[in-house]
Amino acid sequence: MESTLQIQEQLLEFVCRNYMVERDDVIPDESLVDQGIIDSFGLVEISGYIQKEFGIVVVDSEMNRANFGSIVKISNFVEKKRNS
Amino acid sequence: MKKRCTHCILSEHFPGVSYDSEGVCSFCRDKSFLQTEENAIQKAQEQVDELLKTVKAQSNTYDAVMLYSGGKDSTYTLYQAVKKYGLKVLSFTLDNGYIPNQTFDNIVKITDKLGVDNLIFRPSKENMKAIVKASALYPIYNKRTMVRISSVCNSCISMVNTQALRIALEKNISIILAGFTLGQIPVNSIIYKNNYTFLEESRAKSNSLLRKYTGEWLDTYYNLPTSLVKNTVEWPTMVNLLCLEKLSEEEIVAAISTLGWTAPKNVDGCSSNCQLNTFNNVIHEKVYGYNPYELELSHMIRKGLIDRETAISKVETMDPELFKSIADDLQISEDEIGNAGSLYKTGK
Ligand SMILES: [Zn+2]
Repeated sequence: MESTLQIQEQLLEFVCRNYMVERDDVIPDESLVDQGIIDSFGLVEISGYIQKEFGIVVVDSEMNRANFGSIVKISNFVEKKRNS
Repeated sequence: MKKRCTHCILSEHFPGVSYDSEGVCSFCRDKSFLQTEENAIQKAQEQVDELLKTVKAQSNTYDAVMLYSGGKDSTYTLYQAVKKYGLKVLSFTLDNGYIPNQTFDNIVKITDKLGVDNLIFRPSKENMKAIVKASALYPIYNKRTMVRISSVCNSCISMVNTQALRIALEKNISIILAGFTLGQIPVNSIIYKNNYTFLEESRAKSNSLLRKYTGEWLDTYYNLPTSLVKNTVEWPTMVNLLCLEKLSEEEIVAAISTLGWTAPKNVDGCSSNCQLNTFNNVIHEKVYGYNPYELELSHMIRKGLIDRETAISKVETMDPELFKSIADDLQISEDEIGNAGSLYKTGK
């Protein structure tokens, strides 16, 4: 299984490929929305991506800024879900 | 003449586009794209089938609320929802004040024919004009959102989405149907949970900008009452049924014509339901340098659903009279329009 860092790396790659941004343009511990990288569709896409890619199920109550607020937060969330 | 991809119609100012020596764009060169999309559509179809089965078994008054603009795509989607999927649908129409009479006739005819209830919500003309004007003249939205849609269109659709979600929650309806096609929305968004609290964050900035340029009253249209949000345990699911089909415009029009749908005259080639469309596209082109329909039409070309020539004529035929009549109606001057472009570019 991937480590948190590997998950982060994978997410970063997904974001760069999908939203046409360079790696250096993404600040991992800041909100992707606030950085202007994604909009509401982006949030939907990322939540779909992590469910498919990492085999986790995300329920409504988990869809919040604490879990999806940044690349770092999303990676931690994926890690936590897989260990639970 | 604008430089465009020799295969699709993406023009040189489209974000992230580059051309090879034969003039083919980076999007057309990505051969894996269509296969990835095909897989995603198949998966979405399974999810949709499962969801519909569950919802139909609940035997509620309505299985779904449908965003019904009266245009060709949403008419076909409504037809499909009722006839192919057997859903009990409450159709919902936002009357933004710029819907052609013919489109209204279509709404009445089609909903009657399909035996579907229809709700109409019409914001006051004054408020609607303020929203349209602010959306056209100020940089309200994220640049990334604007690759798929014009700013004014996005303001209308956000309002429709919010109001439909409100109806769904108040009436205990589990599904919200919309008639978007792939190219208008990303493939992962064929079916998704409309989780207001989750998505609210991404709309907060644009909402506050739109409020700043219109008024506090804006929240009536773009926010849900706190009590409604607090009491929600499960959010409705958004479903875009049309994304599951592979149909050309002619096939769609042929199918809905048998129900009595007639194309309105006073709109441009990209829209069959809104007179603002030409105005929105011209502004978008002035501000960003490309037409907001390029992405969708290029996607249709790659899937073999439209030929390149027809697509080009759709984005390049803009009636200046139609543009002027809307600009006059909104009391927008040429100076203001010129200024809009520079406001966007400086990101103010
Ligand atoms: Zn192309």
